Amino acid sequence: MKRGLTEFSIHHPWWVIGIAVVITAFFAAQFPNIKIDTDPEHMLSPDEPVLAFEHQTKEDFSLSDFIAVGVINEQGAFNPVTLNRIYNITLEIEDIEGVVVDDIMAPSTVDDIKQGDGGGLVIEPLMGDEIETQAEADYILSRINDNAILKGKLASEDGRVVAIMIPIESKDMSYRIAAEIRAITERHSGGEEFHIAGLPMAEDSFGAEMFIQMAYSAPAALLIIFLLLLLFFRKVRIILAPMIVAMMAVIWAMGLLILTGHTVHIMSSMIPIFLIPIAVLNSIHIISEFHDHYKKYKHKDATIRKSIEALFMPMLFTSATTIAGFISLALTPIPPVQVFGIFVAFGILVAWFLSITLNPAIAMLIPDKALRDFGRTDSHEGVLGSLMNGFRRLSANYSKSIIFTSLALVIISAVGLSLIEVNDNPVKWFKKSHPIRIADDVMNHHLAGTYMNYLVFAGENDDAVKRPEVQRYMESLQSELEKDVTVGAVSGLPDIVKKVRYELFGGDSSKAVLPDNQTEIAQMLFIFEMSGGDPEDLFKFVTPGYDKANLWVQLKAGDNQAVSRVIERADRFMAEHPIPDGITANWAGLPYINITWQHEMVSGMRVSLLSSYVVVFFMMVFLFRSLRWGFIAMLPLTITIMAIYAFIGYVGKPYDMPVAILSSLTLGLSVDFAIHFIQRLRTIHKRTNNFKESFQEVFDSTGQAISRNVLVIAIGFVPMMFSTLVPYITVGSFFLAIMIVSGFVTMLLLPAIAASFRRTLLPIIEKKTSRRTDPSSNPPSKVQKHV
Amino acid sequence: MKLSKPYLTLTLLALALSISAVAQSEDAIDIMRQSHLAYYYAADDGVAEVAMTITDKRGKERVKEFVMLRLDEEDGGPQKYYTYFRKPSDVSRLVFMVHKTPDGNDQRWIYVPSVDLVKPISADDKNSSFVGSHFSYEDVSGRHWLEDTHTLLYDSTLNDSKVWVIESIPKEKYKGFARKLSYVSQENYLPLVEQYFDKKDKLVRQFKAEQIEEIDGVVTMTARSMENIKKGGKTIIRFSDISYNAGLDQSVFTERSLKNPPRKYIK
Repeated sequence: MKRGLTEFSIHHPWWVIGIAVVITAFFAAQFPNIKIDTDPEHMLSPDEPVLAFEHQTKEDFSLSDFIAVGVINEQGAFNPVTLNRIYNITLEIEDIEGVVVDDIMAPSTVDDIKQGDGGGLVIEPLMGDEIETQAEADYILSRINDNAILKGKLASEDGRVVAIMIPIESKDMSYRIAAEIRAITERHSGGEEFHIAGLPMAEDSFGAEMFIQMAYSAPAALLIIFLLLLLFFRKVRIILAPMIVAMMAVIWAMGLLILTGHTVHIMSSMIPIFLIPIAVLNSIHIISEFHDHYKKYKHKDATIRKSIEALFMPMLFTSATTIAGFISLALTPIPPVQVFGIFVAFGILVAWFLSITLNPAIAMLIPDKALRDFGRTDSHEGVLGSLMNGFRRLSANYSKSIIFTSLALVIISAVGLSLIEVNDNPVKWFKKSHPIRIADDVMNHHLAGTYMNYLVFAGENDDAVKRPEVQRYMESLQSELEKDVTVGAVSGLPDIVKKVRYELFGGDSSKAVLPDNQTEIAQMLFIFEMSGGDPEDLFKFVTPGYDKANLWVQLKAGDNQAVSRVIERADRFMAEHPIPDGITANWAGLPYINITWQHEMVSGMRVSLLSSYVVVFFMMVFLFRSLRWGFIAMLPLTITIMAIYAFIGYVGKPYDMPVAILSSLTLGLSVDFAIHFIQRLRTIHKRTNNFKESFQEVFDSTGQAISRNVLVIAIGFVPMMFSTLVPYITVGSFFLAIMIVSGFVTMLLLPAIAASFRRTLLPIIEKKTSRRTDPSSNPPSKVQKHV
Repeated sequence: MKLSKPYLTLTLLALALSISAVAQSEDAIDIMRQSHLAYYYAADDGVAEVAMTITDKRGKERVKEFVMLRLDEEDGGPQKYYTYFRKPSDVSRLVFMVHKTPDGNDQRWIYVPSVDLVKPISADDKNSSFVGSHFSYEDVSGRHWLEDTHTLLYDSTLNDSKVWVIESIPKEKYKGFARKLSYVSQENYLPLVEQYFDKKDKLVRQFKAEQIEEIDGVVTMTARSMENIKKGGKTIIRFSDISYNAGLDQSVFTERSLKNPPRKYIK
């Protein structure tokens, strides 16, 4: 097959190019149908029970996701000017499409229950209209601080910060709505600072900004790669081919993704950035080979034939191992990750296929005279040449030290791996200086928290949650949860019962306790229902049938670990204090959903990584027909993964979603150099029979190609490290780290092992050659067949 | 001031238009006044058993039952309401009383039997829900016709009844609605349908007369519904055992009778 494809491309270059262009055009034509989906809920498969429960809970209590706007006035926000400004901003926010107007929580929209003149019970908006005096402003703050449901949530107790909680119809509107809110606050700007926070907004904004970043970081990477290749090979026409192959691979993969009806999720938007370097890798090897031999053969077709032939097996296997790395992502239970893995794998297949067909076809179109001064004359010349000499000498002369250093590295890495902290928080996907991070810090510092979880108590029949023992249980769980530093506030039905009772008895704080009979609880709630501004306020905490009630657990942090700790605290409490008969308690809320899928992903990624590791090992054994070489080929990959992840463990960077996904990239890329190196070393050695000569040659050919790859990929993705999105920085750093670590290990440890154990590793050839009469007369291409 | 000819024509035209608009709204105001009286001030007093079925947007039903006593002091003027709850059972014997004045300064009291306490309450927002239903307090006790600007749009027929279609726009900015369309029966002045629009002119709520009967010679709406189009959910209120001119006197509507319901009307 290898001959057939390349031969066809050499003889019919126009056909190959024509077909490739037509297919590319077909896939490119799918792009207008692109459907973008940034909903992090879709990280879970739709039949996931957690999601079903989340939707049920939102439906039961008419809950919406929130955007939180924080208004900060260091001199105190409770003055007529600031409050009137907030009043007018709230009015304008009500006009934004997609805002659930009735459920906005702001000083002008929430109701206050209080004592009226003559001892009556008054229910009226906290701030019914614009105010004029400082006394009015002070009074509003005192009312907030006197209401357990509002205290710390609507305003900080010191009155410097006011929150406007804006419920939205759906999460995917939050980026747009946040932008409209920002426009409103800018129009009203005075001495206050405005911050916009909230998990749905952060997640949606991340999706939006990710696409924007993709739009320039992918082309930027392509451009830098192009420039570096130009620096190495100095012929635009030659290096055009790899660029075209990379772009086509991206277009085919994204086109097929859209054609098959998949939405482009945050994950799949990363496909181009992953595909470009992988696609370019093979081409660099081909061009390097072409470059090395062109001077020798002088004929394009012969050089191409020779290059492809020498590289066919290693390219097939480097592609197959990378595909194995990505396809294993299909084993994770996270749909967007599965889609990502499958389509990256498809792209790699395309890139491999195009690099052995389109590359030669394009090369055939280059007139020979244009290549007159192309190619290398002396392999020892140049920076790369001397660099390779250095590596060669180092690995030959200090082989033992290198092996022991590597061993030490493995041990140090193993310790580092144990230090890895699994943690994630989508808000922290933004850099610390990003407005969303700042807003998150500021608001969670001053207020009860922007991360909303719900603990739902469900009974079997109507009125179940009115039972005094259920109310008391909820009350004690509330105070238990509030002990956690992450928990800013817990609000629920008991607060309402107590508040109504307190105000009903004329503000007597001894009455702010739960009554011990159901009738009284029912009547307190009925008073609230019939006199409160909106019964919907009540039905955020309880269903109209009183069969379910929920506690709003407001968190100041959305980190996995923090959320899990709160949930464990609730679990512990419920284990020690049995829940009343017939009642169940379950969690809902976006932070809870996040920990659920992140949990699934960590275990999913472990399975995925281990299985692809095993598959790659068998591939290596099969490729080299040797268990020993199979093991050795796994070393660069093993050490690279261990070193990188140990580094993450040591510096304390949390193991989050992007870091998890990158393990398959690490696995796929870091084995490549080893494959090329070992394959070539053995091929050369069969021909030369001389260890020293083989060493020299492998460093001059494959060694240089590898170092070119290291430079191209590592530098090509440096721009990503200046992104405001942390996952982008992570990806860019990973490309750099993978290239450098696996490059070094391949060119130091592998030759060091080969040098130390040359008798066992390369002994047969000596026997074989002794049988042969004149091995050196064999043309190299014939030897290849024995591999 | 010298006016140019086109300007003059325009002014005259505008004047003519505004005169006709005024004439039309005079009609509309009268229709709305008559409608208000027919609907909220039937006879001089009334007693009825009321069953309120609240269906939330999930389709779950809750039923509230109460006895309602009403006394008019003057047609279109002050009114008194006494509401005695029967169901749900955990709020039975709870009483809610309103002294309504057309200027909007209503007085309200509640009697809470579980703590044996009478408490005046005042909810500023007339637009708030009436005991957790889709009707607002104002829907139940009436919004004065002079609070809105009315325009008779056209005549029409609705379920074989001839109706006036009247558009009402609040004179002052109002949360309840930005625009209301009323379909008022030309036979008996009862509103057959009312549609409430928000400031984006979206239909938010719809009122419907579900059943109209003649009781003691008074044309009475014995069932009515309010549907929340925007958020879903619907409430139907049915009246039974209606008696008019039952001879209710002022003593029924005092704080004292909150704790001691008038057994003559409430069994």
